[in-house]
This record gives sequence, structure tokens and C-alpha cells, in this order.
Amino acid sequence: MPSILGNFLRLSAAAFAVATLAASPLSAQQRFDGVTLRVATFGGVWRDIMDKELSPKFAALGGKLEFITGSPQVNFAKLIAARGRPPFDVMEILDAQTGDFAKTDFLLPIDYSKIPNGQYLSDFQKQKMLIASWATQEGICYNVDKYKELGLPAPTTYKDLANPALVGKVMIPDINSGGGLAGFGAMAYAAGGDEKNVAPGVELIKSLKTLKFWAQGDQVVLSFQSGDIVAAVAHTGWCLRTFKQGQPVAAVHPTINAKTTGVSKDGWLGVIKGTPNEAAATWFLNQYVDADYQLTFSIVGGVVPVNTKAIQRMGEDPVFAKMMQLKPEQMAQQLHIDYTKVNIPEWVDQWNRMVVK
Amino acid sequence: MPTDIAAPRAPRFKPLNFAFLRRKATPGDEGDSRVWALMLVPSLIVFVVLLVASLGLFIEGSLHRDLGYGRTGTEWEISNYLRVFTDSFYLKCLWITVKVSAMATIGTMLLAFPVAYVIARLRSRWAMLLLAGIVASTFITIVIKVFGLMILFASNGFMNRTLLALGIVGEPVVLLGSEGGVVVGLMQFTLGFAVLLLYSVVQTIPRSYEEAAQALGANRLRVARRVLLPLCLPGISVGGLMIFNMCMGAFTSAALIGGGKVMTLPILIQRTIMMEVKYSMAATLAALLLFAVIAVNLLSIFLMRRMRAGRKVIA
Repeated sequence: MPSILGNFLRLSAAAFAVATLAASPLSAQQRFDGVTLRVATFGGVWRDIMDKELSPKFAALGGKLEFITGSPQVNFAKLIAARGRPPFDVMEILDAQTGDFAKTDFLLPIDYSKIPNGQYLSDFQKQKMLIASWATQEGICYNVDKYKELGLPAPTTYKDLANPALVGKVMIPDINSGGGLAGFGAMAYAAGGDEKNVAPGVELIKSLKTLKFWAQGDQVVLSFQSGDIVAAVAHTGWCLRTFKQGQPVAAVHPTINAKTTGVSKDGWLGVIKGTPNEAAATWFLNQYVDADYQLTFSIVGGVVPVNTKAIQRMGEDPVFAKMMQLKPEQMAQQLHIDYTKVNIPEWVDQWNRMVVK
Repeated sequence: MPTDIAAPRAPRFKPLNFAFLRRKATPGDEGDSRVWALMLVPSLIVFVVLLVASLGLFIEGSLHRDLGYGRTGTEWEISNYLRVFTDSFYLKCLWITVKVSAMATIGTMLLAFPVAYVIARLRSRWAMLLLAGIVASTFITIVIKVFGLMILFASNGFMNRTLLALGIVGEPVVLLGSEGGVVVGLMQFTLGFAVLLLYSVVQTIPRSYEEAAQALGANRLRVARRVLLPLCLPGISVGGLMIFNMCMGAFTSAALIGGGKVMTLPILIQRTIMMEVKYSMAATLAALLLFAVIAVNLLSIFLMRRMRAGRKVIA
């Protein structure tokens, strides 16, 4: 009997130990041994932060993160060219592309039960196929000292950049760039047009007499440093990075019309259909919207987090509070372009024709 | 006998005669020619597979309608070509491409020829060192070269500070976002190749020709104009065409220095693929670029032949 009781107790203890281990957070973590998760994202700082913050965490689970860099437009082109063989597992998607993704069949539905950090996102940020990842505030970055030298007041609208004193000293985003579509749309709105009518925006851009159209944001930083430009249309993150490089720059959220000030560009993440690494991709989405990562990423990249906890903490930083619109009422005033009304190839065609004329 | 010295030397190898492929080989007969002909086979395969087949594929692709998101119609049609040839936008892009390429070619050849001549005529070891330097420079990726150029010509860059300090210019010279800047970028891209090409051309002209002309009283300018240039002209023409072809297809210089403001055909093709995802239209534009390059080359060859024929008649 004692031996039977002893065996029973030993078995019970072992079963309890197994059950406890299975329920513990450590064992709840999935292992991704040998998994290479391919993430299509922007290059530069964007990629570097992910690599620094998320790669070690993924490596601790046995996997490896690989980055396929390029603007979301370029990555979308790669996705199409791959013809069903996904060249990456997760992709950064712009709000301008959500219409394209809705019309095509490239994304998998997101399983929010496996994204606990999703609780800190608003409902509209958790869509069936897309999860919000960040937002940028597209505005004007200008060199305060140079403006003083030229005797110009700080710009408040895009039209202010058409001042004759600024001929050849202004850069705006190329339509090819990450901020290109948002910039083009915002200028169309500011000039009295809208998503269906960008002709006023074309006229406004022509009046600016720009030095060039930037394709990568780091060109903004370099051009301020080299003294080639005095002002640029870019998101506040680039202005912040220029500021950190010692340039006396400030960010302005341009007045679009009587009710709208500033322009918001939203970033999304999607899991690509056909990926063999869906579980790892979902893990990545959860990590991306984690409050700590969102804060780190936003501070370095100069973007607005989507995680509400991170937004609160970011507003406490005086530099960000000065450069960005982080109060809810300010954010509500920003222009959100309705890309469901946009025919992107038509916008690109109009842009190209403007350049050649 | 002196006549023996002047007699033409027999060719080292027999000229290629493909008739041998149709008849039986006899021992010791046509052996060299057959080996040489067989050596052409791998090149021919590579040429057919990589060039002819790929060209055929994209030309075939240009004959379909774009249906959006990279999809194309199955029917064959020429609507893309009609659009390209009736829309001034595309023709203007072609004109810009030809213009900057021609300007860059002329500029490159004018800069490269004296350099190539000096190196070819140098008798010291500096010649090889200079040549090695030029060869090494051609290995540097164009992105690095272009960024170097951009830093050099930045508003507060070395060139502009020097030019302003010397009072040569009143305002900084701006390369970015201009056709002039793209021309400079293309020249930087092709200069090394042009020097190497022209060096080999000048090398083939015996120095004694120039010495003989000088001995007969011609000054240096006359020697260059009447002896050197006519002898180098075929090489210059072929080299110029090669440089022109390189410039027509160049993307990086136009993209980085042009800053999106100089819409050459390679840039438009990239945008059509990447932004609009219209493969057929992009293929049509690529075909337009190809046909334009072929046309310019054929025209140049025709003009060169006419010039040569004219010169023979005058002689």
C-alpha cells in the first residue's frame, strides 16, 4: 500500500509539475526554430530600429528576421511580380495602398486573439486584414536661421514655400517616395482640390520652383546639412532627425483649410497570403504594437505611435510635444486622405506629366 | 630586296569560312577554322538565350493591354505603341533622354580624347599608373560616384566654396534637379570607359605618322586635325556610339542627380513598373528606348559610311 500511495503521489507531483510548466509564460512562448521571417519595410532608421529591438527577441525564440527594404509602393510591385510566391511574410503598408490591397487578394486575416497588445489600439486600427502600426505627420520642415536671414516669417501653408526668395531652396517628396502620395494629396487639398481633382495641387507644386523631389527621407537630412535647401515638405520624423544632426530646424503643420491643420499618413501591417510562417508573422505584429517598442520606435523614427500607452508617454517629451501634434483634438483636425477615392496610376501619370512640362 | 620588306604579311589564321560545316573534314584541312567556329557556339547560345529571347519576351509583352495590378490581356494589340507615338509626353521623355545622352557623349569624348592621347603617348611608367587609376575608377559603383559629385557640388561643398571664393560664380552652382547636372553625372559615369576605349584607338596609330607630318612642317594643331583625328575617327565614332548607348540606358545618375525632375525614359520605365505596375506599357517604353538606340546607331553608321565614301571620291 505505501508503495502504491508513494507511486500515486510521485505521479501526481510529476503531473502537477508538467501542468504548471505548460501553463507558465515561458512555455507559452512559441518556438520559431529555423524560421526566417521576411519583413518588407522601409530602409534606414526604420529597418535599423526593428533589427536592434526585435531581431534579438526573435532570435531568442530560435528564428531570424530578414528585411526586404523599399518603399511600400516598391514592395507592392515586388509582391505582384512574385506572382503567388510571396517574397516576404509581413509587409508595411501605407494608407494609400489599403484600396489596392482591398481589391487584390494578397493578405491573410489577422488573428487578434494572438495579439494581446492589440488591446491598446483603437477599434478602427484593428481591421480584418490590417493592423495599424504608426502614423506620421506630414508637414513642412524649415531652417529657422535661414528664414531669419532671408527676412521671411515661418511658413504656415504650402503656398508660403512659393516665395521668390526660396527658388531652388525647397524640396518636396517625389510621388515615388513613402510620403509622396500623402504630400501630393495634401497639396491638392490645400490648393482647393481633392482626391478626384489634383490639378490645383499640380499648379501649386509648379509654383514652388523646387530644387528636387526627394525619393528617400535621408536626402532631406543631407540637403539641410549641405545647405542646399532651406525648407522641405516631409514628415516631422525627418525634421526631428535633421534637428538631432544639429541643424536649426522646426516643424510646421500646414493649414490645409479653415477646419484642417496638418496631414496624417497612417502605416499598417499585413501578413502575406501564402506565407509558411503565419505564427511567426503574428508574433511580429504583436511585438510591433507593444508599448515599449512603439515608444522606442517613435522616438527614434519621429513617428506617432498607435499604442495609446506609448502616445501618452511620448507627449511627455518636450521636443516631441513641440514638433508634433499629439493632443487628441489636434490629431482630429488633421487631414486624412480618402484613398478609396484615389486612382493611384492616374495620380502618378499626372505627376509625371507635370515634371515633363 | 626592299620589295620583300613591303610585301603584305600572310594572315596568321585563315579567315572563317562556314562552308566547311557542310562538307566532310579532311585531315589537316580547315582544322583551325573549325576550332574557332566551335568556340563561337557558347557565345551564340548565350546571345540567343539572354538577349534574343529576353528581348522577344518583352517585345511580346508590349503587345498586350494592361489590366491593372500587373495583369495583362491575352489579345495582341498595338494600343500601347499608338499611345506612345501619339502622346507628346512620351515623345518628350524620349527627346530628353536623347538630348542628355548626346550632350554627355560629346562632353565625355571631348574630355576623354586628350587624356587618352597623353597616356597613349607617354613614354614613362606614369602611363601605366594613370591607366591603372582609370581602370580602378571604373570599378567604383556609380552610386558612390554620384554621391561624391553631389557632396562636391553641394551649396556649401568644396567646389562651390572654391568657385565663390575665387569670384568665378556669384551663386553656388546647382547640379541637382537639372538636365545639366544629369549630363555631368553621365559624363562622370562614362569618362573612364571612354578614356580606355580611346587609349586603345590612339595606340593603334604609329607615332611615326605624326613625326613625319611634323618633319614636313605641320604644327601640332595641324597634325592633330589632318593626321590624328582622321585616323582616329572610326574609333572615336564607335566609342562615341558605345558611350551614347550607355547613357541612353543609364538610370542611377538621372535618378539621383535629376532628383525626379529630369524624366528620362529609364526613369519613366521604372515608375511605370514600380508605381503604376503596368508591365505592358513599361515593355512598350523599353522597346521605344531600344528602337531609338538602334535607330541612332544605324543612322550614325550610315553617316560614317557616307562620309568615308565622300572622302574617297575627293581623294
